Amino acid sequence: MLQKKICMLGSFSVGKTSLVRRFVESLFSEAYQTSIGVKVDKKVVHVNNEDVTLVLWDIHGEDVYQKIHMSYLRGMSGYLLVIDGTRRQTLEDALALNQRVMQEVGKVPAILVLNKSDLVDRWEIDSDRESELSAAGWIILRTSAKTGASVEQLFSQLAAATLTE
Amino acid sequence: MADQAHRRAPDNQTEENPSANNHAYEELRHLIIAPEQEELADIQERLDDRARRTRDVSSVVAEAISMRRDQHGERALAQALAPTVQETLRESVRHDPHPLADALFPVMGPAIRKSISEALRGMLESFNEALEHSLSARGIKWRIEALRTGKPFAEIVLMHSLLFRVEQVFLIHRHTGLVLSHVVARQVATQDASLVAGMLSAIQQFVRDSFDSKNEESLDSLNVGELEVWIEEGPDAVLAAVIRGHAPSDYRLTMKEALEEIQQRYSSALENFKGDAAPFLSAEEPLIRLLAARHREPAAKKRPSAALATLAILGVLLVAYFGYSMYLRYEWSRFLHAVRGQPGIVVISYGREGGRYHIQGFKDPLAPDPNTLLKQAGLDPQNAQFDLAPYYSLDDSMVAQRARQLLHPPEGVTLSENHGELHVEGTASPQWISRVQERAPYIAGVASVDTSHLQNSHLLQLNAPKSAVESVILVFPIGRAELEAGQENTFAQIQKGIREIVYRASRLGEQTTVELTGHSDSTGIEGTNMLLSQERADNIRGALVRGGAPAANLHTRGVGATQPLRPEDTEESRRLNRSVTFRITFTPPSSGN
Repeated sequence: MLQKKICMLGSFSVGKTSLVRRFVESLFSEAYQTSIGVKVDKKVVHVNNEDVTLVLWDIHGEDVYQKIHMSYLRGMSGYLLVIDGTRRQTLEDALALNQRVMQEVGKVPAILVLNKSDLVDRWEIDSDRESELSAAGWIILRTSAKTGASVEQLFSQLAAATLTE
Repeated sequence: MADQAHRRAPDNQTEENPSANNHAYEELRHLIIAPEQEELADIQERLDDRARRTRDVSSVVAEAISMRRDQHGERALAQALAPTVQETLRESVRHDPHPLADALFPVMGPAIRKSISEALRGMLESFNEALEHSLSARGIKWRIEALRTGKPFAEIVLMHSLLFRVEQVFLIHRHTGLVLSHVVARQVATQDASLVAGMLSAIQQFVRDSFDSKNEESLDSLNVGELEVWIEEGPDAVLAAVIRGHAPSDYRLTMKEALEEIQQRYSSALENFKGDAAPFLSAEEPLIRLLAARHREPAAKKRPSAALATLAILGVLLVAYFGYSMYLRYEWSRFLHAVRGQPGIVVISYGREGGRYHIQGFKDPLAPDPNTLLKQAGLDPQNAQFDLAPYYSLDDSMVAQRARQLLHPPEGVTLSENHGELHVEGTASPQWISRVQERAPYIAGVASVDTSHLQNSHLLQLNAPKSAVESVILVFPIGRAELEAGQENTFAQIQKGIREIVYRASRLGEQTTVELTGHSDSTGIEGTNMLLSQERADNIRGALVRGGAPAANLHTRGVGATQPLRPEDTEESRRLNRSVTFRITFTPPSSGN
């Protein structure tokens, strides 16, 4: 079976872990994230008539106290850049982080995940900004950890992107 | 060669043939072949000129070596270069050791440190092991084994410590942390290999980032309770072995060799790995070899013996329990038997209820406490309950005991009971004697009292005068009833003694009876002797009464020669048989006698 290392990146408390919690196989407690900065989960998706095991490195959200270990990104086939749609700053931080990621590992498939789509009334990212990002080449998906909307699609789409690489 | 010779032959012929247009020919020839000749000369020069040739080779030597390496000829290249490199190094050191030392310096330090720390750790581990083993129960067992086999203790420890079991081996792609292959020993429960491999890589990177990012040194073992995870890293692949028990340090070498083999065999697959583990299917084989390296005795083998031991212990406990309860039953039945034989206790029924014995019946207040009997039998009084109603036992010993309790016999008096008759023996005061006679018949179980062997203690003071009187023999001449002459004093003493005894006895409340027995010798007719002896006794009685002795207390009898005092073998004996003797008895006035 095909395996792919996928990293989940984004600022602190954008909901990375909540986003995947219901959809992945977990073995390790979330305490690992706070201690060593990463927690490994697994998600099997079916794309192009084959099963692909996504080994998800859920990397601790970056904040002023904790920088991510860039070495955790080594060997990844793709990544999810998660932002909190209700906090515009998380988008700017994510894009800055993305620059560092690109420097470290080069260009690999990535999806920009606009999380907390259920709180659309408090949305801080307008459609202009969104289309601007699309134009810049970003694949953008709106998800909700609360409703589970688009999460399966997120994984399938990223898996498919890694296969065409 | 031959072909070349043929070709040259016509040329020579041409040269030997001089002609007018020789010059023109030369010119033509020059025009045609001069450029090639010059080229040839140049090539010749390049070949001959050492300096030029060197310059030419120098411009391609690096490319040539790298091309050779690309053609997978690095081994041959290395072999070819090795002697030169060795000689170069040697020469360099001989000439000036400093440059090489300077170059090696950054490498040497860590290498030496690593090797020393490995050696120290090994020493510490074996020291710890020895310490641990020498103090544990297992250590004592091994000491005994060492004594028994005559082997050094260290060898025994080593032998047992070498037992270990490799439970899982992971082959992990170093760059991505994805699992390439995973093998598991039988009967080992495992978690998802891809998750474990991923997390292991993450931890590995975390450690590397946090502690020593420069030298690519990393974690090579983890301890998790009884398990150890040994990690061996290659350039592209990582081997992780999950080990139960203590693996010897040479297992590390085995891992290294396996990893080298895998690195070599799958070098391109490792380099081009894009997530498809299929090319590594055959890598299971070296992993399985690692798994099978050295097995600790399977735990399952030990289980039956553990189960047997448990069964044996249970068996022993059961036997002990039944043995003990049977012993208790035996003790109980013995106790019950003893209780039933105990005067003053009557057992009507008994039984066991809720682990306790219930005993019902009757008990005389004077009978011993059954709980005391229980304690004497070594049984726990907690385990018994007695429901005993009080009653009066008519058992002889109980009646005697009751009599003793009620009558308080003085020292020297014994009470015994025989079927309702209380026998009282010994010496006691007249007050006590009269109390016994008064009260004893009221005691439960006493029908009659026998005090015939009970003596008034006050009479003891009369013993001396009594025996003085009783020892006297008054003698008579043959055929006469008057005293022989010369006994007047003796008679006077008797008279005085009897008078005193009667007086003193009457003051103690006792009635005195003096019995005078008249004797005769065996000569003469029997009838006459009877009369004579009676007459002798009567005469003395008369004399005593005349002297003041109370007549009512004096009784006489004549026994003739029927009760001789002495056998009549001498005249003196015969004389003593012609006599009167005295016997004094006291009787309590109320006894009726």
